[in-house]
Amino acid sequence: VTSEPRAFIALDTGAATVAAAMIGRVGSRWRLIGSITMPAGADVEAIIAVLGARAADADPALAVALDLRHGGAVDLPRLEVASHPPRKLAVVAASQRALEPLVATASRSGWLTAAASTDGTDPLAMSTLLLDSGVHGVLVGAGDPPAADERRALGELAALIAAAAGRRPELVVVLAGGMSDHLPAFGDVGRRPGEVVLGPSARRGIPGGPLADLLLELALPPADAHRSLGWGAMALADVLDRRVDVVEIGHDAGTRAAASPGVGGASATAELAVVPTAALAPADPDDAVVDRVGLWSTWGADRHRLRDRLRELRIAPWADATGDGATLRLAAARAALSRLAECTPDWDDRPPADLTVATGGAWAVAAAPTVALALVDVLRRPGAGQFAIDHARILAPLGSIPDADERRAMVADLVDDLLAPLGTVVTPAGMRTGRNAGSVVVHGVTGEVRLDLTPGGLALVDLPPGSSAVAEFTFRDTVKLGARGRHFAIEVTGGLGGLVVDMRDVPLRLPDRADLRGEMLESWQATLLNGRDA
Amino acid sequence: VSTADVRLVPARRLISAPVDALFALAPGDRALVAAGDSVVVGAPIAEMIRDPRLDEFDLPTDAEAPLPGSRWTGNNRRGTDGGPTGEYIFDWHGRWRVATGDITDALETPFAGIVREVRPGTGITIRAAGRGIRGIVALGGPTRGRLQLGADGELRSGGLDVGSAGTILVVGSRVDAETLTRARAMGVCGVVVAGLASKERRDFIGSEARQRAALHRLPPFAVLVLDGATRRPLAGAVRAVLAALAGFEVAIVTDPPMLVFDRPNLVIPPPPVDLVRIRAGAMSGREGQFITAIGPRRFPGGAHLEAGIVRLPDGTDAAIPLGDLERFV
Repeated sequence: VTSEPRAFIALDTGAATVAAAMIGRVGSRWRLIGSITMPAGADVEAIIAVLGARAADADPALAVALDLRHGGAVDLPRLEVASHPPRKLAVVAASQRALEPLVATASRSGWLTAAASTDGTDPLAMSTLLLDSGVHGVLVGAGDPPAADERRALGELAALIAAAAGRRPELVVVLAGGMSDHLPAFGDVGRRPGEVVLGPSARRGIPGGPLADLLLELALPPADAHRSLGWGAMALADVLDRRVDVVEIGHDAGTRAAASPGVGGASATAELAVVPTAALAPADPDDAVVDRVGLWSTWGADRHRLRDRLRELRIAPWADATGDGATLRLAAARAALSRLAECTPDWDDRPPADLTVATGGAWAVAAAPTVALALVDVLRRPGAGQFAIDHARILAPLGSIPDADERRAMVADLVDDLLAPLGTVVTPAGMRTGRNAGSVVVHGVTGEVRLDLTPGGLALVDLPPGSSAVAEFTFRDTVKLGARGRHFAIEVTGGLGGLVVDMRDVPLRLPDRADLRGEMLESWQATLLNGRDA
Repeated sequence: VSTADVRLVPARRLISAPVDALFALAPGDRALVAAGDSVVVGAPIAEMIRDPRLDEFDLPTDAEAPLPGSRWTGNNRRGTDGGPTGEYIFDWHGRWRVATGDITDALETPFAGIVREVRPGTGITIRAAGRGIRGIVALGGPTRGRLQLGADGELRSGGLDVGSAGTILVVGSRVDAETLTRARAMGVCGVVVAGLASKERRDFIGSEARQRAALHRLPPFAVLVLDGATRRPLAGAVRAVLAALAGFEVAIVTDPPMLVFDRPNLVIPPPPVDLVRIRAGAMSGREGQFITAIGPRRFPGGAHLEAGIVRLPDGTDAAIPLGDLERFV
């Protein structure tokens, strides 16, 4: 955005949906003028034309101020990102023990993975895997230094992979940890079209880190929406001076970005995880995927029917978004979110985020309070946090602005428009069941509201978007709410879901019986949608 | 009808051209064609090893070092014209690992075309001399046969007769695994269906794997699924093309999943611009005329979705989410 335009289009082209937003210069700052989300496969020019026409019809004076003539929206400059289908990475190691951390790292780094180790797979099957036309890269790793059980097999493994890489010169090869010593087996790597890259070894139990960053860099093209989301989260954290967690459930992958503001002159930081297995509906849902969706479903379908519906969701992700389809979509989103959280276990050791932002097509058609409930159902941490949704899906396009200062300035201008607040959720942990847990008094501008707290349920205080209050909690027993204690005063902000006091277990425990589980899920949802306490 | 409005409906390509089909090869398989070759229908393009294994061999000291992927030929066996063959995979400490096997099957191209690429151990890509109808998935192996239109609804196993041997059957909305295995046993070459449920898909894949493992194999058989996993009739535009192809030889390939036909003189008129098909919801499978986009509307379940008015053949108008619609281009 360099030629001083009065308006531009932010475009997030996903595999399932296309989100277009018009951003215009109003007064001295950039504002969100309007947005629209349409199924992928629709004509992008037609989508932008409709967006422009609606903006002009809604406020003709503003349209004139933005130089927006009728039908002229398609000519506006565009800030565009797109998500791309993940590619497949063959992950190989000399032992099963060495393979596990490599797979854990690769599967959260934007790659679909297929794993093999020399002690579990014969060389012919491994060669077949590497020569498969669907495989685009190879990650071969060993400990640094290699462990005793790896050393004997590393030479033969390097010879096998070098032979396959010679036959497929376009294959990207990553030699991690102790495998770096076998680089000479690959000959003159500068002459092959596919890169041969040296990387650090994978760390057991900590799937993030330098190797994950390297794999992300290789997996994501430059204008990729997932990559931009990390930059956008970082700018948002810097502007708000808050720890921000962004979660996206998309058609091809789930993305999680954890950003922290800069402290003491240091710049803001962000960590990114892109998990293809955390897609809304994986391409070939196995029993584990289907069962997990069934766990969150109130629909009561058997495994075969549920699998059929998930396949349909995969084939036409925007279709069937009403009635049962909306319920299934939310169940699939919760299941995907839990897979996403499982792939970032090291993030649980950090302080909880001050603000969690949901983005992506999976949330686009759900009622705002149910989005907040889905997030707190899965991403459960004791404490208090705000939740919001990137309703116009402009965080990723803004993140693609190459200059950090310009990106930050743009996010600062748009921060009030880009987030729709869902509310504040307070989640105390460690309460005893079966008795009154205490009370909360919410001191707002319009007066006080007092609620008794019953363990195991949700309590809702109506707190509209834009308002703030102080919630004073008095518990009968010591609970964990950030710190341990019995009395807490927390500043809370309102949202479409209000203030939610979540007194359910951390982590959430659901009944084994499907009918009881369904009733419980429905009652929680009714609490947030209708305002009844569960 | 506003042309701009109908462009908001997701588009699906009715006919794909050109068609580049990949025939996967495994290490040890032998390609019989080279890039640039012209192949006719039924021409053998590869020898596929049935139960490949990895053997180790020393190279003669005066032999030139082979490249991985090149062919290996063993010493002549008594009573045979040539020795065993295989493919060099990799060299470790001077001993070559070679993928080889005792029994081979011929892989034939189901359509005529030009070989674009041959990569030993990976696959052969052939550009078809024809066009194709894209599906969601194809199960089984590449096959060809005379296209025969079957029942509009669900085909049961009892509805099959031996007269369908050698054909590719279009069976309408849905089919079960029992019908598919019976069709294969009766000599039917393939089945084209709108929807295949996950359970039937799993059962058929299991049956196909057992059949492929048998010593005496049946001819290749494929199931092409055009729409998805639930029951819905074939789209009218697709049905019209299939009706025009009835009685002619067509092929099914698995990568990409596609029905390929070589009828250069067949003129396929583009579907009407405003013709849309409802692919989900209570009216799934019905088709109508797109009248106009009406903006966001609230639908059951509380979802606010962009919608359009569709005029159904009985003259009634319905507001349908745009995401539930599709149009063919």
